[in-house]
Amino acid sequence: MTPLAKNSPKERDNALLIAIAAGDRRALEELYLSYHRRLARFLSRFTPRYENIEEIINDTFMVVWQNAKDFRNASQVSTWVIGIAYRTALKSFRRQKNHHLAHSLEDYPEQTVDPTSDTEVTDWLKHGLSRLPLEQRLTLELAYHMGHSLEEIAAITDCPVGTVKARMFHAREKLRQYLPTLGGAPSELPARMG
Amino acid sequence: MTNNRRSENSAEHQEVSALIPWYVNDTLADSERQRVDAHIGSCAVCRDDLAVHKRLFEEIDAQPAVDYMPVASLKRLQARLDAAQAQSASPPMAPLQPGRSDARWPGWMAASIAAMAVAIGLLAADRWVQFEVRATQPNYRTATTSIPRPQGEVIRAVFSPSITLVELQTILDEAQLKIVSGPTEAGVYSLASNSTLTVRSSLALLRRHSTVRFAEETLLEPESGDPP
Repeated sequence: MTPLAKNSPKERDNALLIAIAAGDRRALEELYLSYHRRLARFLSRFTPRYENIEEIINDTFMVVWQNAKDFRNASQVSTWVIGIAYRTALKSFRRQKNHHLAHSLEDYPEQTVDPTSDTEVTDWLKHGLSRLPLEQRLTLELAYHMGHSLEEIAAITDCPVGTVKARMFHAREKLRQYLPTLGGAPSELPARMG
Repeated sequence: MTNNRRSENSAEHQEVSALIPWYVNDTLADSERQRVDAHIGSCAVCRDDLAVHKRLFEEIDAQPAVDYMPVASLKRLQARLDAAQAQSASPPMAPLQPGRSDARWPGWMAASIAAMAVAIGLLAADRWVQFEVRATQPNYRTATTSIPRPQGEVIRAVFSPSITLVELQTILDEAQLKIVSGPTEAGVYSLASNSTLTVRSSLALLRRHSTVRFAEETLLEPESGDPP
């Protein structure tokens, strides 16, 4: 723990980033250790291989180290760091030849399992998630796994809030079409998402 | 149904419907939350959407997460930073253009170039000294020798780099051991006994796991007939 540590996570992150911008390697290590668990858990939902997860996290912190001096206080440090991780992950997953996220839902068989079984629903949901376009799945996971607000996701993904809402809408509709036991009937596409 | 259809086409419905995911993950501002509350009371379509999102949230939130140990990864990041810094400390010098007269350079430029030359010289000398020091040291480390033994250490062990914190703690609990120091740069942990279990029993329990790459006793136990 460096002497820069502050009481609230936000204050601590700000102090660490200022120190990192001044070239303090210990501050970078402290920030790394405080974000590693969160990022690794998030990324492990997209790839089971720790080598990939580590590469994305370390690439992210190389960018943090190099660009800390350009950080503006208009956003939160956590949003900034997770935004870098988001873009790094997006590039990494697209590079992976065997990544199957681009497959369409039509490639997947219709649900034939017992719809009352929670285990089956969980398994099929996992498959359904893996079939979503990458941006839609990332949006869903940022909201439901990481617990980010609409505005935070817009900042992390560098998109207008309307785009975030549209991605979430399409993700839900595809999952519902794919997995009717989620409930409800497909909605009509909203005329506007702003 | 007619009311629902009318509601579904309204601007209010569409705006509220798009907020439902963040209503579910509890990140909406109070005013937006109240707006959703007011709308879903009279809109069956949004109540339906809410049920879908709650189900998704529960499923995604309930899926088990894996925890990884960050120390080995941090060491690899540090190595990358060291390499990047070493590279940036010795940038290639651009060749001087022939035929340009030194007399045309402003004084400050000549002074700064002289200062840079001195700095590069000092850096090179420092790196040479470091290289000489390193050259006299072995370029390998062992898990069993040379480092002083931490207080209470009875076993040194190396685990698979992909082992999770939960897995590590489970293995240590089972073998009734605790970490007293580590991991070292080579990934070696010093373990102390946490109970009256013999060191050999703890060692045997450790070695049952494929994620334990190496485990050796550092404090030899006396044979049962030996004097204490």
